[in-house]
Amino acid sequence: MLLLGKNALITGAARGIGAAMVEVFAREGANVWAFARKPDEAFEARCAETAQKYGVWIKPVYCELADTAAIKEAFRQVMADKQPLHVLVNNAGIMGEDRMFQMTSEQEMHRIFDVNFFAMIEVSRLATRLMARNRQGAVVNIASIAGIDGDSRLDYSASKAAVIAATKKMARELISVGIRVNALAPGFTDTDLVSGLSEKVVQEQTEKILMKRKARPEEIANVAAFMASDMASYVTGQVWRADGGILS
Amino acid sequence: MTNLEKYINAFVESLEVAAEDVPALKYGESDQWDSVGHMSLIAALEDAFDIMVDMDDIIDLSSFEKGKEILAKYDVEI
Repeated sequence: MLLLGKNALITGAARGIGAAMVEVFAREGANVWAFARKPDEAFEARCAETAQKYGVWIKPVYCELADTAAIKEAFRQVMADKQPLHVLVNNAGIMGEDRMFQMTSEQEMHRIFDVNFFAMIEVSRLATRLMARNRQGAVVNIASIAGIDGDSRLDYSASKAAVIAATKKMARELISVGIRVNALAPGFTDTDLVSGLSEKVVQEQTEKILMKRKARPEEIANVAAFMASDMASYVTGQVWRADGGILS
Repeated sequence: MTNLEKYINAFVESLEVAAEDVPALKYGESDQWDSVGHMSLIAALEDAFDIMVDMDDIIDLSSFEKGKEILAKYDVEI
């Protein structure tokens, strides 16, 4: 098991790639603080069921990531558990409506950046302070190929490009306290984020992919688990694409 | 252990300095208390006193004496 005995914090854990990560990380032996936006009985039941299935603990923690005070309160709950934190996966992300860049308002840009970038920074600040106590840790920031290729919405692409730049800066600073920081850039993945796209757009997107299909969320989660594990102990400051093969 | 002892111990363990040198320490004026050491020090203080230090206070904590003032804001009397 890749993550046996590790304690991981995963944001955006209720749905999509985050939900798959909770399952995959538990399968690989990790205990999980599963951050989600709002209380949800189905989510809690799934966490309990998964924990029992794999013999780990999974603790739902509710937190509105656009609210810095709420993030701090959530970390107080994590700290109260008095368990070391080994892995952080900054997964939570939102996407706005599809608009041309001329039509994208500053307000909408701020809304996307608040969650996709500023919350990621705040969560990382607090989490890496906990990791620094043990002088080890791994951070996996979920970026997107849109942050590299710029072929999605302006606000989303720009926020994910910011995540990639922050990953490299964090990696440079945090290796001195034994923390590796990498970014994972998923391609077209079968989640709620893309469920509203028209058939035409889906067809156009999948046509670019060598595998001619969307990723399943667990395929992305598997890569994140490897990046978070000691099997990737010599990897930091990198951006890994998991896109089914998109070649320029 | 008294709060003062815990406070000094946080510096000793995180910055790897002798206890007698701690009261004179200032951020950036010793090899040990650089930005990396500062991060370890904040983590050690949070651990020792079970607090979560705000970003502004992390920036302000620039000396042994200043640290005492800051901890008082978190109801930690040194």
